[in-house]
Amino acid sequence: MRGRFVDKMLTAVCGLSFTLLALALVGLLYILSPGLKTLTPSFLFLSIHEGGVLEPTVGTIYLFAGGAAIVAPIGTFTAVYMVEYAPKSLLTRLVDRTINNLAGVPSIIFGLFGFTFFCKFMGLGVSLLSGWLTMACMMLPIMVRSVEEVLRTVPESVREASLSLGATKWQTVRHVILPAVMPGILTGIVLSMARISGETAAILFTACFYTMRGLPRTVLDPVLTLTYYLFIHVVAKPGELDMPSLFGLALTLFMVTITLSSAAFALRAYFRRRWRI
Amino acid sequence: MGLKGGRTDAFKLIFGVCAFISVVILFLIIAFTLKNAVPAFYRKLLTFENLWAAEYNKFGLYTLVASTAIVSAGSLAISTPIGILSALFIAKFTPSYLRDAFKTVVEFLAMIPSVIYGFIGYMFLAPAVARLFGLNFGQNALSASIVLAVMVVPTIVSLSTEVIMSVPREYEEAAMALGARGWQTLLHVTIPTAMPGIVSSVMLAFGRAIGETIAVLMVAGCPTKLSGPIWNFLQPVYPMTAAIAMGMGEAEAGGAHYHALFAVAAILLVFVFVVNFAADILRGRAPRRMVA
Repeated sequence: MRGRFVDKMLTAVCGLSFTLLALALVGLLYILSPGLKTLTPSFLFLSIHEGGVLEPTVGTIYLFAGGAAIVAPIGTFTAVYMVEYAPKSLLTRLVDRTINNLAGVPSIIFGLFGFTFFCKFMGLGVSLLSGWLTMACMMLPIMVRSVEEVLRTVPESVREASLSLGATKWQTVRHVILPAVMPGILTGIVLSMARISGETAAILFTACFYTMRGLPRTVLDPVLTLTYYLFIHVVAKPGELDMPSLFGLALTLFMVTITLSSAAFALRAYFRRRWRI
Repeated sequence: MGLKGGRTDAFKLIFGVCAFISVVILFLIIAFTLKNAVPAFYRKLLTFENLWAAEYNKFGLYTLVASTAIVSAGSLAISTPIGILSALFIAKFTPSYLRDAFKTVVEFLAMIPSVIYGFIGYMFLAPAVARLFGLNFGQNALSASIVLAVMVVPTIVSLSTEVIMSVPREYEEAAMALGARGWQTLLHVTIPTAMPGIVSSVMLAFGRAIGETIAVLMVAGCPTKLSGPIWNFLQPVYPMTAAIAMGMGEAEAGGAHYHALFAVAAILLVFVFVVNFAADILRGRAPRRMVA
């Protein structure tokens, strides 16, 4: 009898812990919900000079679109090399280790690196371009791992069939493997974008500028993002934006990130089911 | 054939070069951080006293390192039990059709931008902590620990769930066959088998906690020195990452403050690498269920 009681207690304690986490998520949503009142079309599409958030929103889109465009081919090729071309080479093992380490590097360090390398050493200054390159470095692990996961699910027989028809390795990769792993590439891109859209520390000194007030005209102009805009209005200039605007801003950012992440999760779930991973 | 072979090699080379880029990036990160950190060491800018004030040229590591230690220990103290128990719940007590939904709930916590955590911590948590303990300011180690705990708990839950689920079924069935109850099996077979993986997930969470910047900065208070002993969770703290984020904006390139900040970054990088390396080794130790 005592055993059954302990069994039930254990289930209850575990369930309680999980409920606590679920409640944390619900609580966060509840706290952000007053922002809904501010979230009108005029708030989203008016310039920041007129009480809207157009520039930070567009800036965020610029930043993640460019970052993803840079990281997508590099990440895909890296994964293809590791799985298709040289699964056991020294370089592959080295890259595998590196990717793990890169994924663990704190974003503030990426920010410092972007500042010293892209902004100063390469002379790009605090600019959208520096932001893209810094973001691309940060997103590389996510991209590589996403593509790698799908590549490993392509059955060996598919490769053998292609090779047996006389296709070269490259033809196999180009016409058989890459089309098959498109979902992984897509998931990787969307997941990377979700990460970039919520990033603050790494763009603090690489892409954003305190006094920037418009949209970047060239890639060498600094950019304003939702995260940075929220950050400076809470930390550096409290009181400049009223409460409803702050909540609207936070909620806009939340929506952008969550939409992208949900899309990535949905894509991954859909393709996992299709491929029966 | 020769032509085709040559082309294949050319493509292999191109892909190989792309793969090598990540190695170059990591190398550059380390090299550029160290290059700017070295002057701080040979000019002996850093001390171990309890004062980090750039305007007086005082760069005492104690303030920052102790703050990081307090905050990450606090966040792990909260997130480890909750994370492991939740992982057990998802892996062992949840019907399989709900498992993915529950995992997604936890993954959502991980996707919320840190600046939103900081914002909520600043607006709600810090005032609540201040009221609860009768303080003037709620921006202190406790607030930072709570915010960080929510941010790193998904790491523990996701990885631990995976590890617990990959404990070979035969182990558990053997225990059950010997008459062990559910909780006895869990306590004496499942958890010990999954332990290296669980510890590894906590280590990874620790690595994330050390490196988290924006949310911590917004709720930690960032004083120039610690007013109380290291176990006082109601004092404002100034973690290493916060010092870098706050200082870089005003540090003059090549100045003492600039190099001191890079030295802090170098120390941070060493911490993170050591922690992740340990987590990597531990993860390799966990037994895996054989997949046919």
